[in-house]
Amino acid sequence: MNSASFVETEDLTRVYSSGQIEVVALEDVNMSVKEGKFLGVTGPSGSGKSTLMNLLGGLDTPTSGRIKVEGKFISELNKEELALYRRYQVGMIFQSFNIISSYSALENVAFPLLFAGVGKKERRQRASQMLTKVGLYPRKDHRPPELSAGEQQRVAIARALINQPKILLADEPTGNLDSTTSRNIVQILADLNKNQGLTVIMISHEESLVRRFADEIIHLCDGKIVEQEQTGEDK
Amino acid sequence: MRISDYIEQSFSNLCKKKLRTILTTSGVMIGIGALVSMFSFGKGVQKNVTDRFKEVELFNYVTVFPRSEEIQTEQSSQKSETESKATRQVSVLDDDFIRDVTKIKGVEAVFPEVRFPALIRFKKKDNFSLVQVLPADICQSGLMKLRAGVSFASDEENSLIISDFLLHRMKVKDIRGIIGQEIEVSTLTLDFGLFDPAKVTSLMQGDSAPRGAGNDRLPFSSQSYTFTIVGVAERMGFFGPMPLRSDVVIPPGAAQRMKKLSLTSIWDFFQSPEQAKGYPSVSIKLSSAKYIEPVKAKMEDLGLKTFALIDHLEELKTGFIFMDMFLFALGMIAITVASLGIINTMVMSILERYREIGIMKAVGASDRDVKKIFFFESGVIGFLGGVFGLALGWVVSMVINQVANYFLAKQAVPYVDYFSFPWWLCLGAVIFPILISLVAGIYPASRAAKVDPVVALRHD
Repeated sequence: MNSASFVETEDLTRVYSSGQIEVVALEDVNMSVKEGKFLGVTGPSGSGKSTLMNLLGGLDTPTSGRIKVEGKFISELNKEELALYRRYQVGMIFQSFNIISSYSALENVAFPLLFAGVGKKERRQRASQMLTKVGLYPRKDHRPPELSAGEQQRVAIARALINQPKILLADEPTGNLDSTTSRNIVQILADLNKNQGLTVIMISHEESLVRRFADEIIHLCDGKIVEQEQTGEDK
Repeated sequence: MRISDYIEQSFSNLCKKKLRTILTTSGVMIGIGALVSMFSFGKGVQKNVTDRFKEVELFNYVTVFPRSEEIQTEQSSQKSETESKATRQVSVLDDDFIRDVTKIKGVEAVFPEVRFPALIRFKKKDNFSLVQVLPADICQSGLMKLRAGVSFASDEENSLIISDFLLHRMKVKDIRGIIGQEIEVSTLTLDFGLFDPAKVTSLMQGDSAPRGAGNDRLPFSSQSYTFTIVGVAERMGFFGPMPLRSDVVIPPGAAQRMKKLSLTSIWDFFQSPEQAKGYPSVSIKLSSAKYIEPVKAKMEDLGLKTFALIDHLEELKTGFIFMDMFLFALGMIAITVASLGIINTMVMSILERYREIGIMKAVGASDRDVKKIFFFESGVIGFLGGVFGLALGWVVSMVINQVANYFLAKQAVPYVDYFSFPWWLCLGAVIFPILISLVAGIYPASRAAKVDPVVALRHD
């Protein structure tokens, strides 16, 4: 494995079993991302993009192969250690936002701090600051149904960043957004990558959007990397 | 995650489903309410019985009775002659016996059971009753619980203490107002002026003569005496020395001045002449319960039967334990049903919040955090059920107590708290449902912890 890589996979394989049937979602994927880079992952539906994201995010464990993040093999962590990894090292955003509809924007953003044992007052303070950063502070008391899709995704971004992770994983973050809003959201991710040195790995089926913002693009097909390319200058 | 956050989260999550939370909590509340009411009733009964016994020092009493002839004969045949000679056998409880017993260490007072039938007349209302003779010092010792007035000042005065029960039967409501008033006691005496042996023999053998055909009366007549009511006593139900179960009590001096037949039942006619000489029983009041056993042993050595309430205390306690267990079993049925309700609610909650559990895990919650969140929610249902159940149990008990006292007051029964709420019952009423709820929450919480975040995040 390359020691300079921030996120790296080695022969990463994930096979799902359902009775006698086995589905290979990812097969021998080898990839690496340097710290502070923006990696785009594209591919058709069912190519294994989300599986890769779940494995990198510590939500799932590989059938074989290894994942190394910040020099630590997360594929070898136990459940408790994986929870800590998800809590402090990685932030995730999803196509369907995955914010809790009964909570206000502020409560959603503050939610991860609850598991970090942060006090109520500090939780509110930090969540307010994060909402200000994504331009949603005036709507802090609104619940998701009262927010637009773009605003909901900004709430999700604020939540993903509340514990100051070094990696942001975005699984089709623009999938439910119109083109203008999609651009704005990806611009926020790009700004975070550029200004704060956040390592961003974004899955998207919109190749043009990925090509516009990513430093590097991986093309997946049938669970395998079929193409890996650098885009523009090396930022 | 902090404990305060778990609690806050639990309340917040439960508040989101108000109706379901109210219904589930109601199940626990009703179960705990029933359990609290039943337990407090059980404890109330126990407290009333034991407190009352302690109050009148009933545990310091030994009652002695002469053995029946058959038993004595049987025993004497079993005992060796030397044994019989070693201890003097007492077959009659007379004044000499009382004098001897008074000298025994630890004996505070000794009084015989002297009773005779009489007709009590107060304000033209008649009632038959057995009159109990009781020395003034025993009366003053607190044995009798007076609801109004005072005890006798001396053995010689022409005073009388009447029970609240008899007054109720005579429809007298103002128990304080009757103190100082006069009451008539008519005794039964032999009247040989009416004695016609032939007719009486014929009557007693059942050869009935036509009614109105001459003088067919038994050779008895009555003699009336006037007493002043000095006190109204609370009558006790079943236990204790006879004075507590008597409706009319007079001092010995006054009793001696009365002409009377001390027959208390038809069986007195069948008594052997020797038995009839003594008292049917003698009550011994001891200065402390520690003298119970030595005095009992001494009395039994004299060939007498003994009864001490303290001996039956353990039996009484066993009875109370069985009563508690029965009430507990009834309450547990309600609690079991309630805990099934909790499991159902929590499982429903997991299904509804499946995606939320996935989100929790995605943002860094561990399996243990998720488990605790659901565990605390179960506990909060139990806590709320316990607090409201305790309140419900208390309210129900108070209502039943008031209603019961209202009806019992009509039968001259003084106000009694039939329900007791000791601190441990109140504490247990809150802690117990929490524990039950936590047990009920084990399965749902484990199920929530096992939720696969990848599947949950895809869940609609």
